[in-house]
Amino acid sequence: MSRIPTAELSRYLLAGQLTRNGCLYSQIPRIPPARQLRRPSTGQTRTLNTQSDPTTTPTTPQNAPTPAITPLRKQLKDQAKAAKASGKKKKKKNVDNQTVPGWDLTVGIEIHAQLNTARKLFSPAASSVNDKPNSHVALFDVAMPGSQPLFQPETLIPAVRAALALGCNIQPVSRFDRKHYFHWDQPSGYQITQYYHPFARDGCISLQARDGIAAEDGEGVEIGIQQVQMEQDTAKTMAQPGGVHWLDFNRVGLPLVEIITRPQIHHPATAVALVRKVQMLLRSVDACVLGMEAGGLRADINVSVRRTGAEGLGTRTEIKNLSSFKAVEDAIIAERDRQIAVLEAGGVVAGETRGWSLGSTETRRLRGKEGEVDYRYMPDPDLAPVVIGEDLVARLASSLGMLPDAEVDQLIDEYGLSAKDAISLTTIDNGSRIEYFYRVLDALEQQLGIKADIESTDDAKQRRALIAANWCLHELGKLVETAPGVETAALSGDAETLVPSAALATILAHLHSRRITTKVAKELFWRAFRREISADTVTTAIDDDGLWFKELSQDEYAALADEVVQGEEKVLGEFARFKQGKAKAYPQGKLMFLVGKMMRQGGDQRMDPAEAERVLRARIEEVHLSGLGE
Amino acid sequence: MLIQRRPNGRHLRHVCCCTRQQRRLLNHFISQIPNTKHDPPHPSPPPPTAHLPSPPSTFTLAVKDNIAATSQPTTCASSFLATYHSPFEATIITQLRARGARLIGKTNLDEFGMGSHSTHSAAGPTGKTGETAVPYSAGGSSGGSAAAVAAGEVDLALGTDTGGSVRLPAAYCGVVGFKPSYGMVSRFGVVPYANSLDTVGFLAAATGTATGTGTGGGTGGGTGTRSGVERIREIIVGDNDGEGGKKWLAGLWQEHDPQDPTSLSVAARTRCAKQRVGYGSGDASKQRDHGEVLKGLKFGLPLEYNIAELEPGIRDAWAGAARILQDRYGALVVPVSLPTTKQALAAYYVIAPAEASSNLAKYDGIRYGQRDTDAASDAAGGVLYAASRGKGFGDEVKRRILLGSYTLSSEAMDNYFIRAQRVRRLVRRDFNRVFALDNPLHERETFDLTELDESIAMEDKWGPEEVDFLLCPTAPTLAPRLADVMSQTPVDAYMNDVFTVPASLAGLPAISIPMSVSLGSEDVPTPGPRAAGLQLIGQYWDDARLLAVSDAVLKALQVS
Repeated sequence: MSRIPTAELSRYLLAGQLTRNGCLYSQIPRIPPARQLRRPSTGQTRTLNTQSDPTTTPTTPQNAPTPAITPLRKQLKDQAKAAKASGKKKKKKNVDNQTVPGWDLTVGIEIHAQLNTARKLFSPAASSVNDKPNSHVALFDVAMPGSQPLFQPETLIPAVRAALALGCNIQPVSRFDRKHYFHWDQPSGYQITQYYHPFARDGCISLQARDGIAAEDGEGVEIGIQQVQMEQDTAKTMAQPGGVHWLDFNRVGLPLVEIITRPQIHHPATAVALVRKVQMLLRSVDACVLGMEAGGLRADINVSVRRTGAEGLGTRTEIKNLSSFKAVEDAIIAERDRQIAVLEAGGVVAGETRGWSLGSTETRRLRGKEGEVDYRYMPDPDLAPVVIGEDLVARLASSLGMLPDAEVDQLIDEYGLSAKDAISLTTIDNGSRIEYFYRVLDALEQQLGIKADIESTDDAKQRRALIAANWCLHELGKLVETAPGVETAALSGDAETLVPSAALATILAHLHSRRITTKVAKELFWRAFRREISADTVTTAIDDDGLWFKELSQDEYAALADEVVQGEEKVLGEFARFKQGKAKAYPQGKLMFLVGKMMRQGGDQRMDPAEAERVLRARIEEVHLSGLGE
Repeated sequence: MLIQRRPNGRHLRHVCCCTRQQRRLLNHFISQIPNTKHDPPHPSPPPPTAHLPSPPSTFTLAVKDNIAATSQPTTCASSFLATYHSPFEATIITQLRARGARLIGKTNLDEFGMGSHSTHSAAGPTGKTGETAVPYSAGGSSGGSAAAVAAGEVDLALGTDTGGSVRLPAAYCGVVGFKPSYGMVSRFGVVPYANSLDTVGFLAAATGTATGTGTGGGTGGGTGTRSGVERIREIIVGDNDGEGGKKWLAGLWQEHDPQDPTSLSVAARTRCAKQRVGYGSGDASKQRDHGEVLKGLKFGLPLEYNIAELEPGIRDAWAGAARILQDRYGALVVPVSLPTTKQALAAYYVIAPAEASSNLAKYDGIRYGQRDTDAASDAAGGVLYAASRGKGFGDEVKRRILLGSYTLSSEAMDNYFIRAQRVRRLVRRDFNRVFALDNPLHERETFDLTELDESIAMEDKWGPEEVDFLLCPTAPTLAPRLADVMSQTPVDAYMNDVFTVPASLAGLPAISIPMSVSLGSEDVPTPGPRAAGLQLIGQYWDDARLLAVSDAVLKALQVS
C-alpha cells in the first residue's frame, strides 16, 4: 500500500469526511490533534472571532499580508479549532447517515481471510508471516513449467471450522477452478479458487444490537452467507522508489477463504458489524491468524440503491480491496450517496468496479463493464474434486467450542458484565484475554474459599466477576498504555506475560474482602507486573509495608466529616438550596469535593471512599443542615 | 530465481551440440549431448531400486524438448523458453535413467506440442527424408523424437501425446508409438499443453535395434535384438520372467509419483491391474509365439473410421491387416460403432486449446522470455503482457490461445467448453460399450441399443459383440510432403488427428505400429513413404496386453 501523506491523514482523522466548504481547502498545517487538546480553551468568543477573521481565509488575495499580524501560533490554533468544529459537525451527521429518505440501500460483502495453516494450499511450502522474503517457495508456487499442484488436505481443517462457525452446510464434494487474469503478483496467470462448486454453502450470521448494527435494524438481523470457498493468495508486492516493484512469493499460494454474503445488508453500520463479526467468529474457532488491522482480512463490497418501494435491485457496483472497518463504512456511504446523486440527476448507474482509498470522500472508477476482465473460469484439470467426509465434519463440529455469541451471552447474563465489556473481553488478544479472565476468576473464587459446588447467590457471583473483568480489561488496559515498552509484550497476545493471573487473583481476593484499598491494589498490581512480587509474596508484601486497610471507626469518619465541612459555608449553601427545593439536582460534585478533602486529610490507607461519602452525606443532612426546614 | 538468462537468448539452437551426424534436413534435435560424454553429471543418486541388480543393458534415449531435463535447456520449441534451464528433472527421465537409459539429446517439436507436423517450432521445422531427397512431414508434435528413432540414432525416444502427438509421427515415420493409459506415467516435469489429455508417450523402432545391447550381461532380452514394442513393454510392465524368476526392475505401471496429482495411487494401480492380465509374474505371453497370442482375440473395426477422406492405400492396408489376423491367425474381426467419433475431433479442439490458453498464461515476458520493453508498460491497461506475448509465441500457439480464450469466455463457455466435456463423456461411453472389459475408473453403464448403427450385428439379445481391441488406421493419409504442409490451412492439419483424438479423450492406451502400404502409381506419382500407421486401442489399463498383442500383430504383418 502506498504511504499516505501525513497532512491527508490528519485531515482524515480530524474530520472523517469533509465537504469542500470545510477545512479541506484552507491551509491546514500538520497539527497533531493532541496539541490543541493540551492548550486550555479560551472560550467561545475566541472561536467565533476567528471564524469571522478574514486572516484565516488565505484565498482572498488582498488579505495576503495580514498573516504577519496574526501570530502564527494563534492562527494554527484557530484553524485547528475550526477543523475540529467542522469535524464534530460532520461526525454528528454520520450518525444519521445510515439512511437516506426515499432510498433503499442494498449491500453484499465478500470477505477474504487468510487461513491458519502450516502449509500452502497446493504446495508443501511453509506458511509464514514475516520471514525473509522468498524463503518459502515451492516449484509450483512460482509456476515452474512442469510443476503441478499438490493439494494439502490439512488446509481443510481451519476452512471447515470457519464454515461451521458461519453456520454453513459443508458440501461433500467441491472442486477447484482456475480464474484467469494477468498480474505480476500471480505467477501462473490464474488463481485457483472454488467458483462453481464451493466447499460450503448457505450459512447465516445473526447480528445483534450489541454488535453495533445500525439502529434502524433494531434488536438484530440475520445475514445469509451464500457460500464459502477456498482459494490461493497472491504474492506480496513491495513498492520501491522509481516505479520498481519487489515481489515476495512467500505469500503466493497461501490458503484463503472467501466468504460471500447474500445482498441482505441495508445499512452501512450493519455492514461493518458483519465484517467485525466474521473476524470474531473466525478467530474464535482458530481459523485465521491475522485480523483486518494486520492485513489478514480484506473485503470487497457490492453496493446498489433503489427508490423505496421499487421492485428488484438497482445496478450494483463493486468496491474492491477494503482493508479496514472504517473504510468499509465510509466506502458504502460514499458510494450510496454517489449512486443516489447520479440517479437523482437523471443518470444511470453503470455496473463497474470502483476503488476506495483511505481518506477520500468518493469512490473512484477502476474499470467499467467493457474493461471488465473475463476471468474465463475453467475447472483445474490437475486437481481432483475435494471430498469431505461426514466424519471429519462431525469431528470438527464437536470440537468447535463455544462460539462468541454464546460466550458473550453468558458473560452478560450470568456474570453481569456490560455488553461492551463482554465483547471486549472475548475479542482482545485473539480471544486469549477471556481465558485470562476465567483463570483470574477461578483463582479468585478459590482464594475466597468459594467452592464450585456450593451455589452462591447471583449477586455475589456477579460482584466477583465484575471486579475480575474490571481489572482484566480496564486496569490491564491502563497498564499496557502507560507502562514503557509494554506494547511489544502485549502484541504477543497473552496477558499472562504481563501480570500472572495467580498474582492478580490474590490481590483481588484482598480487595474483594476489603482488606486493602483500591489504591493499594493498583500499587501491588504494578509491582506484580514488574515481577517484584508474585502470587505467593503478595500477602507478605502487604504485611511488610503495612498496607492492610485499617478502616476508621464510624466515629472517626464522622469527626473527619465535621472537620472538612468547617469553613465551607458556601458549599453547604448549595446543599441547603437543594434541601429547600431551590436547586433541582443534588450537588453531587460538591459532595465529592468534600469527600476528596476528607481522603486527603484522613489518609486514604484507612478509608473507603464509598463509606466516607455515605458518612459525609449523612452528617451534612443530619447535623449541618438540621436547622433547615423542608 | 533459478531461471538463467543468457545474452541473445532468442537464438534457440545450441550450436555446440549440433555437430554430430545430424542431417540438416531432419533438424530433429534441439540440443544434443556430445557422444564422448556419457551420462551427464546427475545430482540425484539412483532411485531406491538401486539395490536390485543393475540393468542388463543401457540404451540411448532422446527426449522431446517439452520434458524437463536438468542437463540441457527445456525450450518447448518456444522462444519464450529459449534459455530456460529447468531446476528439476521430469520423473519419467529419472525413472528411465534407473532402467539404464542414457540421454543423448532433446528433440524438436511443435511449440508446446501444438501441431501435427513439427513445423511450428522456433528451432525450425522438422522433416524426414523418405526414400528420396524430398522432405516429408515427420508428423507432430513429437516429430523430432520419431525422426530420431526412424534414423536409428536412439533406441528409445520420449514424446508427449495429447491428441495423437506420439502416434501420428510414429505412423508418418514408420516406427512404433505408444500412448499409455492416462495416469499411469508421471507427468511431473512435462510442460503441460492440455493437462487432462497429456500423456508421456514412447517411440521405438519396429524392428530390433542392435545398439546398446550386450553391455550389461543380457539377462533380459536374450536375443540380442529387441523390437521396439518389446522394449516399451519391458519398461511399462517390468521384467517379470528373467532367469530364475528374478526381476530386476518394476514396471512403470507400479510407480505412483506423489508429485503428480493425476498419477494413479498405488491402491488404484493394484486394483486396476487385478482386473487385467499381463501384469502378474505368472503371465507367460512373452514366451508365447505370436500366433498363440492372437488366436481367439476379438478385434473391432470402428465403422465411423471409414471416412471419405481416408486414403485408399491406407484403407486397403487396414482391411488387409484385418484379413490376415482373421484368416491366418484365427482372430475374430467384427465391425463396431463409435457414434461420437465425428464430434470427438471438434470436442478435442475445444478442450485442448482451452486448457492450453490457461497453461500458457504464465509466459508473460516477466518471468520467462524477453519482455517487449518498447511497448507501453502499463499493467493497469493490460498491455504490459500483450506485446511480449504477441512476440514470444508462434502463430499456431497464438491461434490456439485465442481459440481457448474464446471458448472459455463467459458468453461462449456453455456453448463450447461445457458441451465439449459432454461429448468427451459420450466418447468414453462409446468405448466402454464396445470393449469386453469394464473401465475400472467408472461405474458400469447401460446402453440404449436403438442408438446403434444398423450395420452392427447383434451377438445376442444383450447387444453386439464386445471386443478386446480396436483396430484402425492412425492417420487418414500418408506423410505429406513438407512443402505441402507449409501451405495447408490449420484446419487441414487438425484433420490428421481424427483417429487419434478419441482414445486421448477417453484416456485409453493406444499404439501405432507400422504397416506397409502398396503404392498405386496413380495415387502417388513420386515414390514416397511406404508405411502407414495401424492403431490398436485397448480398454483402460489394458496396456500390458495391448503391448503384447501389438507386438504379435506387428510380427504377423511382417511375416506376411
